[in-house]
Amino acid sequence: MKTYLVQRLAIAVLTLFGMSVVIFALLRLAPGDIVDILFSTAGFVDPAARTEIMRELGLDKPIWIQYLDWLRQIFSGDLGKSYRYDLPAWEIIRPLLPVTVELAALSMIVAVVLGVPTGVISAVRQDTPLDYVLRVLSLAGLSMPSFWLGMVIILGLVAWLGWIPPVTYVSPGENFQLHAAQFLLPALAVGYRSSALIMRITRSSLLEVLREDYVRTAWAKGQTGRAVIWRHALKNAMLPVITVIGIEFAFLIGGLVVTEQVFNLPGLARFLVQAILWRDYPIVQNLVMLIAIVVILSNLAVDLLYGVLDPRVRYAG
Amino acid sequence: MRNWRLATIVGGLALTGLAGLTLTPAAAQAPKSGGTINIMLREDLSQGFAIHETATISVVFPASPCFNNLVFFDPLKSVESVDTIIGELAERWSWQDNYRNLVFFLRKDVKWHDGKPFTSRDVKFTFDMLREAPEAQAKLRINPRKDWYANVEAVEAPDPHSVVFRLKRPQPSLLAMLASGYTPVYAAHVPPASYRTGCIGTGPFKLKEWRKGEFVEYVKNPDYFVKGRPYLDGLKYIVIVERGTRTAALQAGQLDVAMPGETTKTAAEQLKKALPQLVVTPVATAVTDNIIMNAKKPPFDNPKVRRAVSYAIDRRALIQAVHQGAAVLGAAMAPRPYGVWGLLDKDLAALPGYGKTEDMKARARTLLAEAGITPQNPLRVEMATRAIAIYVDMASFVINELKQVGIEASLKQIETAQWHAMATRGEYQIGANLTGLGVDDPDPNFYENYACGSPRNYSQYCNEPVMKLFDQQSQELDPKKRLALVAAIQKKLEEDAARPILDHRIDYFTHWPHVKNMIPHHNIYNFGRMQEVWRDK
Repeated sequence: MKTYLVQRLAIAVLTLFGMSVVIFALLRLAPGDIVDILFSTAGFVDPAARTEIMRELGLDKPIWIQYLDWLRQIFSGDLGKSYRYDLPAWEIIRPLLPVTVELAALSMIVAVVLGVPTGVISAVRQDTPLDYVLRVLSLAGLSMPSFWLGMVIILGLVAWLGWIPPVTYVSPGENFQLHAAQFLLPALAVGYRSSALIMRITRSSLLEVLREDYVRTAWAKGQTGRAVIWRHALKNAMLPVITVIGIEFAFLIGGLVVTEQVFNLPGLARFLVQAILWRDYPIVQNLVMLIAIVVILSNLAVDLLYGVLDPRVRYAG
Repeated sequence: MRNWRLATIVGGLALTGLAGLTLTPAAAQAPKSGGTINIMLREDLSQGFAIHETATISVVFPASPCFNNLVFFDPLKSVESVDTIIGELAERWSWQDNYRNLVFFLRKDVKWHDGKPFTSRDVKFTFDMLREAPEAQAKLRINPRKDWYANVEAVEAPDPHSVVFRLKRPQPSLLAMLASGYTPVYAAHVPPASYRTGCIGTGPFKLKEWRKGEFVEYVKNPDYFVKGRPYLDGLKYIVIVERGTRTAALQAGQLDVAMPGETTKTAAEQLKKALPQLVVTPVATAVTDNIIMNAKKPPFDNPKVRRAVSYAIDRRALIQAVHQGAAVLGAAMAPRPYGVWGLLDKDLAALPGYGKTEDMKARARTLLAEAGITPQNPLRVEMATRAIAIYVDMASFVINELKQVGIEASLKQIETAQWHAMATRGEYQIGANLTGLGVDDPDPNFYENYACGSPRNYSQYCNEPVMKLFDQQSQELDPKKRLALVAAIQKKLEEDAARPILDHRIDYFTHWPHVKNMIPHHNIYNFGRMQEVWRDK
């Protein structure tokens, strides 16, 4: 187990290194830079001033030196300064983190709470009207983009109630009810889509397990339906479901862009898009690396959970 | 011809009618102090509060409450002119030596937000920096309006409370430029770069917090030099990037005031339908749709081809198709009643592109034929435009118009990061462009957008006799003669197709009825001070 962990962490470091090269190169391949954007807000370009700002920001250095400077900054715990805001990148990123993590976690809770039970019901009641209804609902969830659902929720609320959740961030200490409203509605919009995926995976995986010999044996031993399904079948059907949950959570950390935008939540994903538009390299590079770390850790957590759920899984050293 | 005139009159009456129906009689009520209001922002402040380093409404509007100018356009009058200028940091002013010296007598009771006294040193510091004088104590990173001060020879501060602008030649327009929202006075004891992250001003509101990407919050300046102002205790500018959410927030009452230039006619109609009590005021934005053609490169180095393009575009059809009627015809300067320098209808009617559609198209074909462009030998060009919907919609319409006269244009969308760099360097053939004017005055418009060598003269049009006319009108002291000169220049610019103007955009500025004295101007850049605004709730 220990050797496995060390191996996985070593691979993670290599992956992050590869990611850093890709992020760095892709950003610089995109046309334009921060200086062009700064001048864009002034409606002209002054070549002499342009050169001076490039020098100030260190963008006149050879690309490989810029890359090494960034790596050096990461290792020294300094994430550099935002070009746009002229503030330390970490100072800008830090307050955004809890918003996105909370929204992603709530969305996953909504997804699991909706997806797993409906998947089980659908599998147990296979080919009944209830199964069909649940499958149609899940198909609808997969077909509706969460941002579209989010916008429908906002427009519906304002049309019928003349109310929408607060458009500036309300902390739980400030007003818990408003905070809950601010996060639960986007969590529902995002969670519904993820729940549809979880429901379908749970259903198909459970259907497969229900046909196994050991489940038949459990039925033959006279165990109750609840015991057979929840204790014997579902536990073994959960491996692919856990995989999907892990991938979805990692995806949500970076994939909440439009939902955060529609509900005007000051999270990482929305800010990342703005930073990309501004070619704010220090912010983009460090945010993408942060998201990469979350993806890698989520995958590792999922792999470790396999062992907890299924004793047959062994971690080869 | 008669039809479009009638349409213009009917449209104008409709706009006036809508304004009349919705404007509340704020002047009749006694203002109340207290309360805060929430104001819409479509994006975060791109350069903080550094108004002098930008040319965007996204900075000048939310940063204005922090600052004062020497003089400012009266916030309670929607049409701006030299006659509506009032003093801010200057108590009074005087033109001397036949408009060669402009003397300002400053208020003595003004303090910066950090408690330091305001003096003439601050004024000299600001304007030396803006005109990049050799004796300037500071330099701006980006200086978009340096050309505004090209005629200023020296700024002198003979004593702490008076300032003299010495000019190379008479220039009555200088006062109008000093009254623009783009001309606040910076503090001499604060580095100009610090305005990118914070704000030490003299204005009616002090910066409380700028939460990046979220909001900018101000509180009332208790030491403000105008007694009894501001009325409000605070302001909050809330950044909402998504357009649908912005409108929903306004409708739900989470925003009290829309951002200038952000409410389309369709959105305003929907809002009025849902909430008839909302106050919607149609105003000009000081933003024009125009065509830029690279006069230094073939085929648009040929004036006939440029004129053919101008003739080919049906302005009235564009206003209906692209803006659903929310724009008005005009040449380089805003038409009346939105501005004071615009051409009269009869003058406009004689310009390329303003006559009967078929006549104009036929004229375009003739000009193209004279330039050797025929259906057998069509002209193929790339129509560049910024990759933003408001640009692309206009460009697509223009492409269709050009096709009808034998110009095959393909759309080339340029990312915002590249657009101005490309236009300034002249790396394009023809483009669909938007231009905002900081102040309704011929000097900044002509010198910025049409003068030889100006970095914003994207078409690189350069006509020495016209340059002389620019200077002539600039120093003309007789208002009637100057108006006539400005009209002649506008006609010449349109006839030369220097940068054909297609329309002047209209905004349907919206706010809740409890927000009083919020009078939008016919220029989105110059009414952000919020000093006179009060809340009746």
